[in-house]
Amino acid sequence: MMVFIHGGVPGITPYASGPHIWGPLPKNARTVSVSGQTVDAMTQSVRKAIEGKCHLVGHDLGGLLALNLAIEAPQLVSAVTAVASVAAAPSGDGVPNTTLAHPPKPLGSRESQRWALERVSYSHAHVSEELVDACVAAAAKQSPMTLKAYEDEFVPSVMKAKSRFYEVCRTDGIKVPCQVIWGSHDPLTTLDQGLWLFRGLAQKQRVAQFHVINRAGALPFREEPAAFFQVLNAFADGI
Amino acid sequence: MRLPEGKWLDVDSIRTRYYEAGQGEPIVFIYGGNFGTGDSASSAYTWSENLLPLSEHFRAIVFDKAGQGETDNPKNDDYTMAAVVRHAGAFIRAMKLPPVHLVGHSRGGYAATRLALENHDLVKSLTVVNSGTLSPGIGTNEVVLAKPPYPAGTPECVRWVYQNYSFNPDVVTDEWVDAVMFTLAIPKYQESVRKMGAEKLGTKLFLPQLAREKRETLQWLNEGRLQRPVQVIWGFDDRTAVIDRGIELYNMFARHERRALFHVINQSGHFPFREHPKRFNALMRRWVESIA
Repeated sequence: MMVFIHGGVPGITPYASGPHIWGPLPKNARTVSVSGQTVDAMTQSVRKAIEGKCHLVGHDLGGLLALNLAIEAPQLVSAVTAVASVAAAPSGDGVPNTTLAHPPKPLGSRESQRWALERVSYSHAHVSEELVDACVAAAAKQSPMTLKAYEDEFVPSVMKAKSRFYEVCRTDGIKVPCQVIWGSHDPLTTLDQGLWLFRGLAQKQRVAQFHVINRAGALPFREEPAAFFQVLNAFADGI
Repeated sequence: MRLPEGKWLDVDSIRTRYYEAGQGEPIVFIYGGNFGTGDSASSAYTWSENLLPLSEHFRAIVFDKAGQGETDNPKNDDYTMAAVVRHAGAFIRAMKLPPVHLVGHSRGGYAATRLALENHDLVKSLTVVNSGTLSPGIGTNEVVLAKPPYPAGTPECVRWVYQNYSFNPDVVTDEWVDAVMFTLAIPKYQESVRKMGAEKLGTKLFLPQLAREKRETLQWLNEGRLQRPVQVIWGFDDRTAVIDRGIELYNMFARHERRALFHVINQSGHFPFREHPKRFNALMRRWVESIA
């Protein structure tokens, strides 16, 4: 069973992510809804939602949650795929990424959602009316994280989780097979960041792979779904 | 794992050894190395972990390149990469294959790419594996494999060379060493060693011609002439063709081809298809299925 974990922080990430962001999934897949104000709380929300041993596929923040769960409970995880996981990738002393700096207000509007989805993509072709509808509906349902909670709780929890993750990579290693999938034209990150995430994993985990999907941005599973599932399924076949 | 029973085919008057199994979409593998090396010798055996597993889904074919393995040496002392590429193209034509999924490793990655650039009608997709010969920049074979500490042509030397290519030295099995020793002992192969070494065709002919044609090949890639789906697969720990060179090569392909993928396999040296055959074969299977 593959479990798909979305990324995004309600009220902070300009497009409203959620299970809908993945688009059509194969039969052996299911999605989870992430909740909580910290990485640990969000990880627990994923842990409660899964049944049996799963291949966790996490997008952005979802990738960090998947890796966090693989550290905490490797018996529940058969493999991890981290997709465009800027949240898990090293970012030391980088300059701010301004891709989503000035979204149109209000944030939950169709205009704002479309603007953000197009900004994080290589091409706007995948941003359908259906996707915009789903994002608007998700934004209306979500409880936005306050700026205070974001700054006081969430961001420190990300730094703590990343620090623990890279310590484990250096010492005991992540105990399950891992792969990193990156979009070649992700406006939110660089290829180098993805490669350094892979390098971290590769220190102690023999079964580790890194893949680049061409002409895709931060949502490679939407922009190039055939290539994305080709890579994902090949990894599942090979392990 | 061993190859199926070998067959022979006359390819432009060059007696050519090849191995095939399975049915369906044709995959043709081109291994690396070149004729006339005395401390190592590639042959069709290089793909022994891949041919039969992939033949469960496709028609998988490996042939010995001109002057390598059991195939005849090039005619008229044409010890050049151009002759190798011509022979490879002629082999695919002689086999009467529909457009093939071409897989080239190392020097074979260069040959496969050049073949595709010169014969688009023969090629459906291209896979390049750890090819320092094709990728821009310089190779580090001469650094990593300088002066083996054993006499050339001995099993100890062969084992040392392939172990230094690999991440895990244990992947260099006795069977692999035996396959190399078999090739080294063939009289026509020894002739190629004399031609390339004592008669200096290696430094006078093969390397200068390859360098000139590599410049042209990279220019063609930069111009977008490949025009076929392409994937690059790289062993992360290859010290002879380091990962940065794989990234640079992938970027050249990806500039012009939407269907361009890059895959990196951890704890693998120069031969990811031998160090991690199950995952390599899974990548190949899903790739061919996606193109077919």
